[in-house]
Amino acid sequence: MSSRIVMLPVAALAAAQPVEAMIYLSLEQAQQLMFAHETLTPLALAPSNDQIAAIERSTGTRFQSGALRAWKADSGYFFVDAVIGKHDLITYAVALSAQGAVREVEILEYREAYGGEVRSARWRAQFVGRHYGDAVQIGRDIHNVSGATLSCQHVTDGIRRVLATYALVIAGPAPP
Amino acid sequence: MSRPPGVRRARPLLGTLVEICAVGAAPRRLNPAIDAAFARIEHVQALMSYHDPASELSRLNRAAASRPQRISAHTRTVLSAALRLAQLSEGAFDPCIGDSLERWGCLPDHGYARPRAGSWRDVELAAREVRFRRPLRLDLGGIAKGYAVDLALEALREAGVREACVNAGGDLRVSGARAQRIALRHPLAPQLTGHTLLLRDAALATSAAYHSRRRLRAREVSALVDPPSRRPYLGAGSVSVCAPECLTADALTKVVLFAAPQAAERVLAACGARAYVQ
Repeated sequence: MSSRIVMLPVAALAAAQPVEAMIYLSLEQAQQLMFAHETLTPLALAPSNDQIAAIERSTGTRFQSGALRAWKADSGYFFVDAVIGKHDLITYAVALSAQGAVREVEILEYREAYGGEVRSARWRAQFVGRHYGDAVQIGRDIHNVSGATLSCQHVTDGIRRVLATYALVIAGPAPP
Repeated sequence: MSRPPGVRRARPLLGTLVEICAVGAAPRRLNPAIDAAFARIEHVQALMSYHDPASELSRLNRAAASRPQRISAHTRTVLSAALRLAQLSEGAFDPCIGDSLERWGCLPDHGYARPRAGSWRDVELAAREVRFRRPLRLDLGGIAKGYAVDLALEALREAGVREACVNAGGDLRVSGARAQRIALRHPLAPQLTGHTLLLRDAALATSAAYHSRRRLRAREVSALVDPPSRRPYLGAGSVSVCAPECLTADALTKVVLFAAPQAAERVLAACGARAYVQ
């Protein structure tokens, strides 16, 4: 009998636990991490329809109004955005340099949902407008999870949208 | 209620979310250590990304069939481990399956010279150079993630972090005197976790088709390729491998999926590893 290959019985679904949502950083913690001791001023992001069309054209992705928020710091820009993937909702923060180059990306929150739940407005509504928790719980109850790799292409697409929004809405079009 | 002080952060790297958890000191001490660990992973990504046409790996896929290419010490370490495991497993693990994954739309086609059915045997690795005997698509995706996890954990250790976990989208390694509980995704319902394992100062990687399986024209594909037949793995099972290092654990999941049981047993023994199949 094999000694190095352990066959695990199929676990009863009734006893299985959902993969926990993770809160990594609060908005304030991410700002502190990326722009320590700097003053951050919120920017009103109100792209015109033409600008939205240009962002969508240059990134090949859909622009979701309302998801993206921006701040001006002394040494750059701070963005927060939420993206929906095949099986998850991810909130992330991007720090751009004053010249608009990506300096850092940090995930703020990660929530999983399957079976189309992630696309349901009702499921998403529970997270809209809520404040990010201040405390990040590190405890024995939080499991690290091993499984097949999940793609994060939607986060990569989101970062490209942040860059296009910066270039077209905040920095403005290049002089002719 | 007290809880151990710690920091848990995540970044999008290596095509997935990489999570680093460090425990045992104040955040102002742990955050720079975590920054250094992420920087090591970014370095591996810059060298070995298949998606990035500017990576060292892409240079090999573009040019190593025409003339020998110089490679960095990191890429050499990973490629040399990949070739050793390919030999040990008699090809059940093979890093030269990138052309299949390109055809299935799992990896980008950068338009380099068309590969002709090749295998790990067509890779000639010298001290500082590598050459392909024919146009190939080398893909370190099945092993480099594990190596990046190992380097990140090393960076944390160098910074004085004694207890940590680095998890690159399911391939992970833990350090510290305390055993850490790892939950395995349920292969039939991957949003749930069923079994849990206790891991102490070791690595665990998992391969399964539940996240990558999809329809492509009239057939089904996944991101897991059986090297000799070039067929996708479409089974409902999930293989997790526990090994001292994540590089080994990552590659060995493919050996257990695709090698005959006796061969897999032999390779696991040679690497001091154990597999959990569900």
